[in-house]
Amino acid sequence: MSEAVYTSPLAHLEDTRDAANLSISISEISDRGMIDLRGEAGSVKFRQAAKAALGIELPLKPRSTAVKGDLTVLWLSIDQWLVCCPRDKADGLIGKLRKNLGEIHSLAVDVTDARAIIRLEGDNVREVLMKGSSIDFTLPDYKAGLARRLVFAEIAALAHIVADKPCTIDIYVFRSYADYTWKWIEATAKPAATIGLFSKQSG
Amino acid sequence: MTGKPYRLPETAAKGSRIDRSKQISFSFDGTRMTGFAGDTVASAVLASGRKVMGRSFKYHRPRGLIGLGSEEMNALIGVGEGGRKEPNLRATQVELYDGLTATSQNRWPSLDFDVGIINNKFSRFLPGGFYYKTFMWPRSFWEKVYEPFIRNAAGLGEAAGEHDPDTYEQMHVHVDVLVVGGGVSGIAAAHAAAASGKRVMLADENPVLGGVADISAGDIDGISQTDWVAARQSEFEKSGNCHVLTRTTVVGHYHHNYVLAAERVCDHDPDLLARGAPRHRLWKIRAGQVIVASGALERPIAFANNDRPGIMMASAARAMVERYAISPGMNGVIFTNNDDGYLTALKLHEAGVAVSRIIDVRKDVPTAFADTARKAGLNVHTGAAIAGVETASGGKQITAVKIAPYSVGRGRVVNEERVDCDFVAVSGGYNPVVHLWCHNGGKLRFDDDIQSFRPDRHGDPITVVGSANGSFDLKTCVEEGFASGETAAKALGGKAAKPVKKPMVKAHSAGPIQPIWFAPATGKYNEGNKHFIDFQNDVTAADLELAQREGYESVEHTKRYTTLGMATDQGKTSNINGLGVISDATGKRIPEIGTTTFRPPYTPYSFGAIAGTKTGELFLPVRRTAIFDWHKKQGATWEPVGQWRRAYCYPQAGEGKQDAINREILAVREKVGLLDASTLGKIEIKGPDAAKLLDLVYTNMFSTLKVGKARYGLMMSEMGFLMDDGVTVRLGEDHYLMHTTSGGADNIVAWLEEWLQTEWTSLKVFVTSVTEQWSQFAIAGPQARAVLDKLDGDIDLSPEAFEFMSYREGTLAGYPVRVFRISFSGELSYEIATPSGYGRGLWDVLMQAGKSEGMTAYGTEALHVLRAEKGFIVIGDETDGTVTPHDVGMSWAVSKKKSDFIGKRSLEQAFLASQGRKQLVGLLTTDPQDVLPDGAYAVESVKSAPPMKMIGHVTSSYFSPTLQRSIAMALIEGGQSKMGETVSFPLEGGKTVEAVISSPVFLDAEGKRQNV
Repeated sequence: MSEAVYTSPLAHLEDTRDAANLSISISEISDRGMIDLRGEAGSVKFRQAAKAALGIELPLKPRSTAVKGDLTVLWLSIDQWLVCCPRDKADGLIGKLRKNLGEIHSLAVDVTDARAIIRLEGDNVREVLMKGSSIDFTLPDYKAGLARRLVFAEIAALAHIVADKPCTIDIYVFRSYADYTWKWIEATAKPAATIGLFSKQSG
Repeated sequence: MTGKPYRLPETAAKGSRIDRSKQISFSFDGTRMTGFAGDTVASAVLASGRKVMGRSFKYHRPRGLIGLGSEEMNALIGVGEGGRKEPNLRATQVELYDGLTATSQNRWPSLDFDVGIINNKFSRFLPGGFYYKTFMWPRSFWEKVYEPFIRNAAGLGEAAGEHDPDTYEQMHVHVDVLVVGGGVSGIAAAHAAAASGKRVMLADENPVLGGVADISAGDIDGISQTDWVAARQSEFEKSGNCHVLTRTTVVGHYHHNYVLAAERVCDHDPDLLARGAPRHRLWKIRAGQVIVASGALERPIAFANNDRPGIMMASAARAMVERYAISPGMNGVIFTNNDDGYLTALKLHEAGVAVSRIIDVRKDVPTAFADTARKAGLNVHTGAAIAGVETASGGKQITAVKIAPYSVGRGRVVNEERVDCDFVAVSGGYNPVVHLWCHNGGKLRFDDDIQSFRPDRHGDPITVVGSANGSFDLKTCVEEGFASGETAAKALGGKAAKPVKKPMVKAHSAGPIQPIWFAPATGKYNEGNKHFIDFQNDVTAADLELAQREGYESVEHTKRYTTLGMATDQGKTSNINGLGVISDATGKRIPEIGTTTFRPPYTPYSFGAIAGTKTGELFLPVRRTAIFDWHKKQGATWEPVGQWRRAYCYPQAGEGKQDAINREILAVREKVGLLDASTLGKIEIKGPDAAKLLDLVYTNMFSTLKVGKARYGLMMSEMGFLMDDGVTVRLGEDHYLMHTTSGGADNIVAWLEEWLQTEWTSLKVFVTSVTEQWSQFAIAGPQARAVLDKLDGDIDLSPEAFEFMSYREGTLAGYPVRVFRISFSGELSYEIATPSGYGRGLWDVLMQAGKSEGMTAYGTEALHVLRAEKGFIVIGDETDGTVTPHDVGMSWAVSKKKSDFIGKRSLEQAFLASQGRKQLVGLLTTDPQDVLPDGAYAVESVKSAPPMKMIGHVTSSYFSPTLQRSIAMALIEGGQSKMGETVSFPLEGGKTVEAVISSPVFLDAEGKRQNV
């Protein structure tokens, strides 16, 4: 039996990626599995079953996230979460979720390949994002652990602030927009276009 | 006009902005010129002795520099070449760099000799409202004669004819306090607001902060205004909470303190461009509080021929000396109605420039400024006005002014005095720049003391300070600014983290102003004289008076009739003067006349900034399926479907599009084809009420569908019109997978969510879009099964084990797959879905596996012909939002058993149930080679010319290579009862195509081909 061949949505850019010449570093994350989990946050049964499968409480606060080991759960809406895990564990985790959830009203779907994830790292990340989004990424509560959906450039995206120092933000976009998103970031993250918003200038 | 007669020696004037050690070379109208680093094009051209910088809009009169900055309305130039050319830039704002290329505008063939000046001679035939009066008749002349003439004559500079090679960008920012204008008021505001720890942004359109601090009188905190500004700027830079933007014009103020500001990032320095910086950046600012400190603009005085080169604003003349060490001429006079003119006189005098006369409209001028001027030995001539100018070189330079006594209410005078001069510095008082204040509804009130409008009320958290508020003395400017900064910060909950001391100001206060809206000419009444009010649009006082006589009582009507205050200038200098003239003509006071509307942008900004990053490849997001690159490599032509790009067909070497389409279709009919159908919408629907939801949104029944089976469904809007269709599969008892059209994918998810969240809140169903999770291919054709059989897999594909309209999950050649045995081509067909990351891999496997069977990739056009041959509808082709399932002959899919579903009630309405509606039929053209155009109209009877009664239209039309003839579908009135009748389609060009109405199913009506 032959082996299934995986192709990244950004494979066609391999020759032209010039991440070194940007004010931030950008990279693709392709080894992440994703599960779209729907359920009633108000149902104790649901939450307990989800916790039993994931080993972690579902985050209930808007825009919050929960992390344990190699598992991250992003709050998407009052009845929707994105469960992130290593790609090769997604199948098993879905099985576990479905088994634990059983008859409880819920929906767990593998969406590992539905999105492309681009990781942005560096001091200038927030500024670069604000060239494509009206969201204020400099707000005091926009710190590691926050995840939110937004309109980025002209598409729907999901931003997860992974770390503050150095600033690390994962941008999730639907797979078909990977090329567009990558090129948009390349276009707006040129070193010469750095603004230094509210930065202290010596002198 | 050679040499640099107007650059003052360093001993006379330093020139605070220029660096005499750095020479800059540039060209103006092809002539090489030099200036210094820090010069503007205006100052450098003036330094070379050249006074004419442009020609006027209507009369093509020679025009020189008038203003100080963005209000400049005469010296409009084009800068750059080729794709980098930008027209209509104000020479006063264009900073010099090595190699800059500037061209004057509105002249032909050259600035010195212009053919259009003939308009000046005929000016008595070009009065206000000229266009309206002249071009009204004959009517037929409008399109062919008048409009081309006007189009040719109108407009200012020419746009670039080539693609702009530069990049642009936009930036969103949220600030607590936005201060507009970096003059002393704005600086004081930012100073106080930043001290609270709040985030402050200060934007100024000039390269240097300070506004007119360098050319105004008075000290702050015991140091010069300029030093005080520099000290604050250095604090801001170190603060970390005050971001200063220079070369940034705040162009518009909108609801909720949303503000647009255009930053000219690289225009002053091509090196930045070369390093990859965006040329312009459009700031989209959301501010808690806005403080407008946009200053005031000096206004001209309307005297005879006040537009001649060499006549400029007093503040501009003063700034030329202070900033660029340039004298406006050799020998000047000052014409003023307020104290500001004296500051200019003194500045010129100090720099050794001869000032022959200070002409002051006011009779008594007992102010400190006048005294200083008199003490300096300057000739102050009060109670007088300029009655005319004498010119040489065809109006390109002035040689003298005529001075006549002036007092309000006095008629024309004949006694006049002639004074030689080659420039005039004019000060008619100042108008607060209220544009931004007014953009979002700020109200104004007229202030008699300053003879101008000043801000009154506003509904937004916005304040206005300093001279923009009509407060012209330095002390009030600084105090207002500082207080507004404190108040704004306090309103946002700011606490003085590091309190700062209120600045102390020392300055003389100025005397009162005497309004003068019109200085009468002497001599033969108005002969050859023009009193310009709006220089940019060539509107004179006489034009405005004429408009009043002709009944244009509303100022808005006068504006449109005469073009006063239109275009890029937006009345910056002309507004109040125009109102003053109207006031004199009508006897109404200015506040009774009111102002015209101030609209954004305050100054024009580039289309590049408006587009930002959204150009080229990023103009529109393009969605790519996992197979996109394969399609591209095969030379596919593209069909946009929403934001997707789908392969339309794959022309091979030597093949036209139609050849390729025919080849692809025949491959599917005779062998096997592969289609990338990944763009189809896919929605997982799960919950105890999933079946109920589907029964409600589809016209047909889904609760009866067996697990593992698929069913085609029709979806209607509440109005009973078709909006989507597709195959839905039952994955489990409470779990379905819905397929939607590619274009409808996002809308249908939203549609389902809306019903669940707003109407059927009790239904327990979750819907999740999985469109992007799956790559999906249709493998179709008699050999489809044979190809799949070659691959390893755990799905039994035999017809007995895997029936038509059913579903299996398993692996194929090592790929996880969902296989649907459904057909949109009428052939034996499987749709195979695999996670998108594996899409390309599986596609390659399938193409390779089918090689010996003749596997052919087919595009969307082949797909469309294949389905049309079978009479399958496409939402958006056969439907247009007004078509019911009955209309397309699909009553079989409308359940009679279900008690309710969306659109059911509407279908029962008389007009949707009536017989005469347009119904879907097939069409066979009499000549089988005639392919009807899409959308062609069927008429009741053909006449020699329209109107003809239309009875329907073609919805899809193709040449079918399978049937070797043209086929079409159409919506024809009562079509289903007209089988066999002939209908006529008169086409453009006189040809009429006849076609026989038939069943829309042209091939294999029994469905044998797909069911093998």
